[in-house]
Amino acid sequence: MDIVFAQPLKELLQVSTYFKEKLVVLVNNETQELMAKKASLIPCYLVSEDSKDINKLSSKKKAVVGGSIKANEFAVRIKADFLLQPANTKQFFDLGLAQKLADNGTRVVLMFEELLASNSFERHQVWKNFIEVARYCKLKKTKFIVASGCKDPLHLRPTKVREALAVTLGLSSDLAKKYLEEEMK
Amino acid sequence: MIIMKIVKVKKATVPLSKRERKRYILLEVLNAEVTEKDFYFGFWIELLGFFGSKGLAEIAPKIVLFKNNKAIVKCKRGKEVELIAGTAFITKIRNKKIIINPLLTSGTIKTLKEFAKIE
Repeated sequence: MDIVFAQPLKELLQVSTYFKEKLVVLVNNETQELMAKKASLIPCYLVSEDSKDINKLSSKKKAVVGGSIKANEFAVRIKADFLLQPANTKQFFDLGLAQKLADNGTRVVLMFEELLASNSFERHQVWKNFIEVARYCKLKKTKFIVASGCKDPLHLRPTKVREALAVTLGLSSDLAKKYLEEEMK
Repeated sequence: MIIMKIVKVKKATVPLSKRERKRYILLEVLNAEVTEKDFYFGFWIELLGFFGSKGLAEIAPKIVLFKNNKAIVKCKRGKEVELIAGTAFITKIRNKKIIINPLLTSGTIKTLKEFAKIE
């Protein structure tokens, strides 16, 4: 399973088919949702605190972009399916949050594209914070995955690579593989 | 008068069983045709940027073979996961967007050559 942003689907499908991978596409509106569904991809609504009509999305998959204490807590409150980038150059993730996310069955996601886009100084800070996030997730048995998180299909990363990244962050290889291969309900 | 005798000493070789173990990884370059030289530079620059000199020395990667956009890279045993993770950072070679796909990891080159059908 990989998570990407909404983008031209033709190239995306070509690459994902080559990698034999199920893609979750982050969408903002119903048009994008329909397009993703047509291409047999899994749509997931990108929600923030400012979003209106969150109740309407109760039956749909939801993802929250973290990166602040408020956003992370919001993901817990609405029982989101994915919490994307809970930490960045600053750490906003702790054991308590990991426990709550584990109870809700929320997956914590490292968006690789953001790591790639950061400069070398920021990159080491993000990496350090995510080592901590992975450690907390391991302790509290919260699901943790590394996703491509790209807007360009050529930035899609194969499963083996993302699994290796999760292992390098501190997860065991069995867990990393299990979390990546787990199907969405 | 002292006569010096030159004795040729045979260089001691480390027996096979005591040599450090290594792993070979078969990588595939997708989306663009890349020459061996370009791949070499792109590969080293990105890995050095991510692991640093010390980290890269510990992994000790070496490009053994590059043919038909497929490369066989050697590294220390136990470090192959780190090397695969490092390849995620290689996104461009000579301004061509590429994806590096690790196909197989093995202890011998022969297996990889057979898998990739490289002579």
